[in-house]
Amino acid sequence: MTNAIEIRQLHYRAGRAFQLRQLDLNVPSGAIYGFLGPNGSGKTTTIRLVLGLLRPLAGRITVLGDAIPDAAPRVLARVGYVPEQPHLDPTLTVRETLRFQAAFYPHWDSPCAEHLLRQFELDERTAFGRLSKGQKGKLMTLLALAQRPDLLVLDEPTDGLDPVVRRDVLSALLDYVSQRQATVFISSHLIHELERICDWIGVMDNGRLITEVPMARFKNGIKRLRVAGAPPSAAGAPFMILAREHVNGGAETWVVRDWEPEMAAYFATIGAALNDVIDLDLEEGFVELLRSFRDRPSSS
Amino acid sequence: MFRVMLYSQWKWTRLIVALGSIAAFALPLVSVQGAARADSNPLQAGELLQAVQSWGTLYPVLAAALGLLVAIATWAPDHRGRHVHALSLPLPRWRYVLLRFGAGATLLAAPIVAVSAGALLPGALAIRFALAVLVAYAVFFAVSAGTARTAGIILGLIGSVILVQIIAGVANVDLDLFGRVQVLVLNWPGPLAIFTGRWMLIDV
Repeated sequence: MTNAIEIRQLHYRAGRAFQLRQLDLNVPSGAIYGFLGPNGSGKTTTIRLVLGLLRPLAGRITVLGDAIPDAAPRVLARVGYVPEQPHLDPTLTVRETLRFQAAFYPHWDSPCAEHLLRQFELDERTAFGRLSKGQKGKLMTLLALAQRPDLLVLDEPTDGLDPVVRRDVLSALLDYVSQRQATVFISSHLIHELERICDWIGVMDNGRLITEVPMARFKNGIKRLRVAGAPPSAAGAPFMILAREHVNGGAETWVVRDWEPEMAAYFATIGAALNDVIDLDLEEGFVELLRSFRDRPSSS
Repeated sequence: MFRVMLYSQWKWTRLIVALGSIAAFALPLVSVQGAARADSNPLQAGELLQAVQSWGTLYPVLAAALGLLVAIATWAPDHRGRHVHALSLPLPRWRYVLLRFGAGATLLAAPIVAVSAGALLPGALAIRFALAVLVAYAVFFAVSAGTARTAGIILGLIGSVILVQIIAGVANVDLDLFGRVQVLVLNWPGPLAIFTGRWMLIDV
C-alpha cells in the first residue's frame, strides 16, 4: 500500500514555546485518516507543513509522491484544503469566489460546483464576509471538492457548525470519497464524528505523534480491566498498561492498550485474577491515552 | 488568473482609484485656472507661474498617496486571511506576487490617464506622474507584503537613525544624518528623486 502523505523525522519550531520533534506519520492512499489531539498539540502546524505553507527545520515530507515544499504548486493542484478559519476574500460574492478559484485549478469541475451550490443552498449573490459560519464552512467544502482533488486536507472542517450543517458537509465529503477513492486527512475535536467515518487514526500531543493505528485496532484494543490481587510490578505484560488505579482492598482498575482476548491468561501467570473486561469508546480511549502519555517522564 | 486577480483588487481599490482619478484629472485644470481670469495680462506671468508651481507640489503628494493606498489595498485580502488562501493556491509564490503587483499597477493606470487628460496633452507631466505613482506603489507594495516583523525592522532602522542623531546632538558631534539620508534618497539618482524638483514648469 502506498502512502498519500509520508512524514519522516520532521522537526519544526514556532517560537520558544512550541516545536514538533522527530515526527513520523503515514497516511495510506485511499484512507480516511482522523488526526486527533488537544488544542495546541500541533495538528494545524503539521497540516500547514504538509501543504508547504510552513518550512520545516529538518525532515522529509512527501505528499502524493512529491516532495514538499519543493513541489508544492504541483501537489497543491491535486489537494483540496479546508482550513480551520475562513480565509477567503470577504468582498467577493459566492459566485465571484467560485470564478476566482476556478481560474487557478486545472481540474476544476463546474457541474460539481453548481450541484453543491444547490445542495448547500448557498445564495451566489451574497458576499463571503456576509455568510454565516455554517455557510462559510459549506462554501469552503464546496471549493475543496470542486477541485477534484486526490487528497482532501481538512482542518477542523465542522468545528462550530450546527448538527444539520455538519451532517450536510460530512455527507458531501463521504459521497466524494466513495466516488473518487480519494484520501482524506481530517483533524477534528469531535471524536465521535471521526469514530464514524475514519479508518485510520493518529493522535498528537505536545508536538509528538503518540499513536497511529487503524481505527478498528484503536477502538478494540483499548480496554478497562478489573483486576484483583495483582503484584506491584506487572513486568512482561503482553499489552501496554496506560493507567493503573487502586479501587478498594486489593482490587485495581487497569486501562490497557493492544488488548487481545487470549491475553487474559497472563493474569494467572502473575497470581492475579481478571474479573472484568470493559470496552472503552474512542473518547475514553483518547483521554486515557493522553493521560498515560503525559504521566510518562519522557513526554515532557 | 490575471483577470480574476484584477477583479478581486478592483473591488478593494475602486473607491481609491475613482477618487484618485478625479483628483488627478482636476489638478492640471485647477493649477492653470489663474490664466483664464479676465484681469490676467502678460505682466502677471511671474505671479501665474508662482501660483502654478504651488499647485505643482500636490502632484507628488497625490502620487505617493495613490501608491500607498493601492499597495495597502492590494495586500488587504491576503492579510485578512493571514495569507492562507494565497499560499494554498497551486502556483509559485513569486508568480502570485507578480499577479498581485500587476493587477495593482494596472488599476493605477486610471489616475495616470486622468492626469494626461486633464493636462490636455500626454507629455512629460503625465510620464513623471506615472513614474512617481509606480515608484510609490512599488515601495509600499514591498513594505506591505511583509510581516509585522518586517515592519518592525523598518521602524527599528528609522528609530536607530533618529536615536543616533539625538545622541550626536547631545554629545555636540557634527553629524547630520537626516541631511545625508535626505540627499541619498531624494536627490538624483536616489530612489525617490522623482518626487522632488519642479513639477509644473513643464507641459502645462
